[in-house]
Amino acid sequence: MSEYIDGTNCPWIPEKQHNMLKSKQSTQHYSKSLIRLRSKLRLLLLGLDNAGKTTILKSLASEDITQVTPTQGFNIKSVQSEGFKLNVWDIGGARKIRPYWRNYFENTDVLIYVVDSADIKRLEETGQELSELLLEEKLRGVPLLVYANKQDLGHAVTAAEIAEGLGLHNIKDRDWQIQSCIAIEGKGVKEGLEWACKNIKRK
Amino acid sequence: MPSRGEDILKGFQVNWMNLRDADNGKILWQGNEDLSVPDVEHEARVPKKILRCRAVSREINFSSAEPMERFRLEQKVLFKGRCLEEWFFEFGFVIPNSTNTWQSLIQAAPESQMMPANILNGNVVIETKFFDDDLLVSTSRVRLFYV
Repeated sequence: MSEYIDGTNCPWIPEKQHNMLKSKQSTQHYSKSLIRLRSKLRLLLLGLDNAGKTTILKSLASEDITQVTPTQGFNIKSVQSEGFKLNVWDIGGARKIRPYWRNYFENTDVLIYVVDSADIKRLEETGQELSELLLEEKLRGVPLLVYANKQDLGHAVTAAEIAEGLGLHNIKDRDWQIQSCIAIEGKGVKEGLEWACKNIKRK
Repeated sequence: MPSRGEDILKGFQVNWMNLRDADNGKILWQGNEDLSVPDVEHEARVPKKILRCRAVSREINFSSAEPMERFRLEQKVLFKGRCLEEWFFEFGFVIPNSTNTWQSLIQAAPESQMMPANILNGNVVIETKFFDDDLLVSTSRVRLFYV
């Protein structure tokens, strides 16, 4: 029976899990953990309420997205992409929750900002929130991926118009990318993530 | 006057947990009872086919009335009471009156190393402890049966 006591034999834990939640023992292997740091990224998903952050998160994890409700806190998921292990943090975008966003900035490798392309009335508001984020010290130099979501809606504006509205072309202090997507159909989501994985924060 | 710890405990609840096949997102098991009720061992009847999944995702949904500064979780998988493995995850800040989910991915062991369902059946307990810094907020125990 002794072989069963080895964690790798248990279907619940499989050794690779370590790199997500480093066990106390494994922190002794410092050189190993440094390698792991390179392959484990923290992605922060922000944007106004109803932009589609949680739907994007679920789409990344290949989950059913029929039951998305407004996020009253955070949702965290581990997903794999391009050989990276990603911890994606989706924080609610309601006005009363936004002041708490700053609690989640630390150690972010890629900032993902989601815009509802059909919510033209709030384009200015979302632009304002984004420009405040870009001034945050803890997010300095962090690559920015913008999802221009809900491109399937008739009155949606294009990614180019969103980029213009948000003033993305004026950003000089970090890499940025805008990606059109239809999160409920999973379209464009993976493409954005591929860019994110290629643009790990340059330390 | 109740202590801050008591306030946190009183306002904390585990709403549900589930297990999915990570390849297709299909739910294999979901428990909707309050899994944070202390001193109760919950039971999960999980389809045997979970052992053939390449990866399983496990998700926990919880609510907190009080803010927490350094919220973290320790999860153990116990086989016949012995800890096979342990994970640690730090959430950091928890927003007051928030409902949150945490999902993590578990890769399957190679098939040759997989323990058979009849040996695991009823002998595996997932123990999850929630802390705010060093304050134990909640413990939940779920015993697994493979059906």
